[in-house]
Amino acid sequence: MSAISIKNLTKVYPIPFRRERITAVSHLSLEVEPGQVYGLLGPNGSGKSTTMKIVLGLVSPSAGSTRIFGRDSREVESREEVGFLPENPYFYKFLTGEETLHFYGKICGLRGAKLRERASELLELVGLEGARNRRLGGYSKGMLQRVGLAQALIQQPRLLVLDEPTAGVDPAGSREIRDLILDFKKRGITVLLCSHLLSQVQEICDRVGILHKGTLIREGRLDELISIENQTEIILENASPEVLARIRSMLDESGARVLAERKPQTTLENFFLEVTGAQKD
Amino acid sequence: MDPTPTPHIFFSPARIWAIASNTLLELVRQKVFYFLLVFGFLLIGLGAIAPEFNFQEQFQLLKDVSLGAMSIFTWLLSVLATAMLLPKDIEDRTLYTILAKPVPRFEYLIGKLLGVLLLLLISTLVMAAVFVLALYSRQQLAIAETIRNTSPDQVQDALREIHAATFSFSLIPAIIIIYVKAALFASLTLFISTFASSWIFTVIVSIACYFIGSLQGVAREVWLANGATTGHLPRIFLALIALIFPDLQLFNLVDDIVAGNSISLVLFGKTAALGGLYTCIYLLVAYFVFASKEL
Repeated sequence: MSAISIKNLTKVYPIPFRRERITAVSHLSLEVEPGQVYGLLGPNGSGKSTTMKIVLGLVSPSAGSTRIFGRDSREVESREEVGFLPENPYFYKFLTGEETLHFYGKICGLRGAKLRERASELLELVGLEGARNRRLGGYSKGMLQRVGLAQALIQQPRLLVLDEPTAGVDPAGSREIRDLILDFKKRGITVLLCSHLLSQVQEICDRVGILHKGTLIREGRLDELISIENQTEIILENASPEVLARIRSMLDESGARVLAERKPQTTLENFFLEVTGAQKD
Repeated sequence: MDPTPTPHIFFSPARIWAIASNTLLELVRQKVFYFLLVFGFLLIGLGAIAPEFNFQEQFQLLKDVSLGAMSIFTWLLSVLATAMLLPKDIEDRTLYTILAKPVPRFEYLIGKLLGVLLLLLISTLVMAAVFVLALYSRQQLAIAETIRNTSPDQVQDALREIHAATFSFSLIPAIIIIYVKAALFASLTLFISTFASSWIFTVIVSIACYFIGSLQGVAREVWLANGATTGHLPRIFLALIALIFPDLQLFNLVDDIVAGNSISLVLFGKTAALGGLYTCIYLLVAYFVFASKEL
């Protein structure tokens, strides 16, 4: 059974006082298998958020169907299996981190010692034990995202829907969130991720779908989608100039063309974290 | 320990209570109770400006002003506290995180309304306590003054008059009616906020409803008095207004109680039941609008 099954989904919004209509999503079909991290990509207005909202039952489809672990996503019960982190969440500023988790736990049916233990466990998981009694009004952007992840996980859902989970977060916080998502994957939690940070999507997603103007234009395993079939990359370490010269001559003889030859580079994110991490020490 | 929640149930009082208590906490931490200080100062100030009246007049003035202020304050509180709840949850996307959990929309609405009703209940009880305290202290002053200035053979009669002029059981129905009216407006405001574009719009429409509700009884009488000359369209319009908006003049029985007129238990029961009925109807209509709302 798929974690998410979307079949021929269409969403049309009427424009008030006009005859025109906007098609946000058109005939979208995709499957997300249990345990996968699925990246839903697309420019602004491509229909990502609408698709997410339909999956979460916040918006009803004009046509087609969406199922979560076999249950129609319009049914309230389907949300027992789902945790959601919206883009730029604010939550209730008057609550502390712990109170926030208690509130979300209670609306999921958790009570008493079970709830307290689960909240403590999650605060530890997202690194907020020290800020458990601080009101959310005093939390940084990264801390809000992390408490958002914790509330999404409170009832131990099998599916996490994350909308731009690292938007506005500094690189260190962004990496922490990325590591958490990878940890969820290890625990067997399915993740549907919407993000504009393509490098991050590339690092963590197994499969991606690219939406454009409401239509799914490409979909598949990430490694298959981005690999260039007729090219091969070889990275050498400690190769002397003589060895390189021999390789070049062999390539010339074989008829293969060298398209680029360069020193591999680290990512700017890695470099930044290395530098700022050293300064902290 | 296994944190798996209990299986989903269609209607959960525990979930509603979680939302209601959170709403109450939200309103309390926004310091809305500060307006109770205004009520307290009003009653203290009243003592300073009315020393030249005799004690019966002072009691009457205190009752008039206190119950009038309670009525206005609870009404204002019900409109202002309710108007921002839904738009703020939508704007901050907190609503998404709540409805993305297994929470039916009707439970969310009931929880929000219940939170406001609890706030109104606490406010009404506190104001009633302040009112009773002010009335009691004024009564004690009047008693002391009467004992001092009245001949011993007339003291008992004078004291009986003072007791009769201060407390009576009919004040309790008056306070209940004030609460019921505020509850009705909380529900009406919640309904308006389900389709309003902003909380300011919600407040304005709710205040407009107050005036329509206050005047509709008068308008109806005028229309009915001219029944022969009234066409079908105005009659339909009138019927719709009468159906949609509660006749707030019915809640004016508080004025009668303050004036010392006795109110039958049946009339009190009917008025309270009407208020309760309108509260439920507005909540139901709010649910129908909210259930189909695209978030």
